Amino acid sequence: MGRKRNGPPRGGRPTKSKPCMFCKENGAYVDYKDYNLLRRFISDRGKVRARRVTGLCPQHQREAASAIKRAREMALLPYVVGR
Amino acid sequence: MLIVIPELDEEQVENTIGRFRTIIERTGGEAGEVNHWGRRKLAYEIDHRTDGFYAVMEFTAGDRTLTELKRLLRVSDDVLRHMVVKLPPSYAHRPLPEPTEAMA
Repeated sequence: MGRKRNGPPRGGRPTKSKPCMFCKENGAYVDYKDYNLLRRFISDRGKVRARRVTGLCPQHQREAASAIKRAREMALLPYVVGR
Repeated sequence: MLIVIPELDEEQVENTIGRFRTIIERTGGEAGEVNHWGRRKLAYEIDHRTDGFYAVMEFTAGDRTLTELKRLLRVSDDVLRHMVVKLPPSYAHRPLPEPTEAMA
C-alpha cells in the first residue's frame, strides 16, 4: 500500500529526478571493495540494475558497472545467483 | 587486492604477503599498510575452494614494479586471485567496510 516509486507518473507533471547518490558526495569514487554498497545496484539474480532503477547519473552508472565487474572478478559479488 | 588460498595458516599468509611487499620495495615502489580482511567466503567457487584470505594493500609503483609483481602473483601457487587497480587521484583513504560472513 502506498508504495513509493521514482518513475514518472502516468499523465500529470513529471517528477523531478533525485540527484545521483554518488554525485551528492563530492568527488566520490565507486569502490569495488565496497560490495555491500554495490549490492544495491544488482538484482537478486546478480545482474547489473538499469539506470532507471538505480537512479545514478550516466557517469556513475558506468563507474558502478565496472566496480561491480571488478568485485565479481575478486569473488566479492556473484556472477550468477542460484544456478 | 589478492586472495590467498585457505589451506595456509595466518603466519604463512603473512609471509606470502610480505614477499610481495619486498618485491614492491625492491623495484622502487612504496608499499603501504596491509589491510587484512581475514578469511572470507567467496561469492563463487574458485578451484574447488569456497573461502580464502583477503588482503588489500595500497602502493606506489616504480618502473619495473608492475611487470615484476604481476608476473610473480601469476606464478605464485598461494595466490588464488589478484587484482592491481590504479586509484584515481581524488581517492581519499576511507575506512573499508567491515567484512561480513553473510553471503547470498
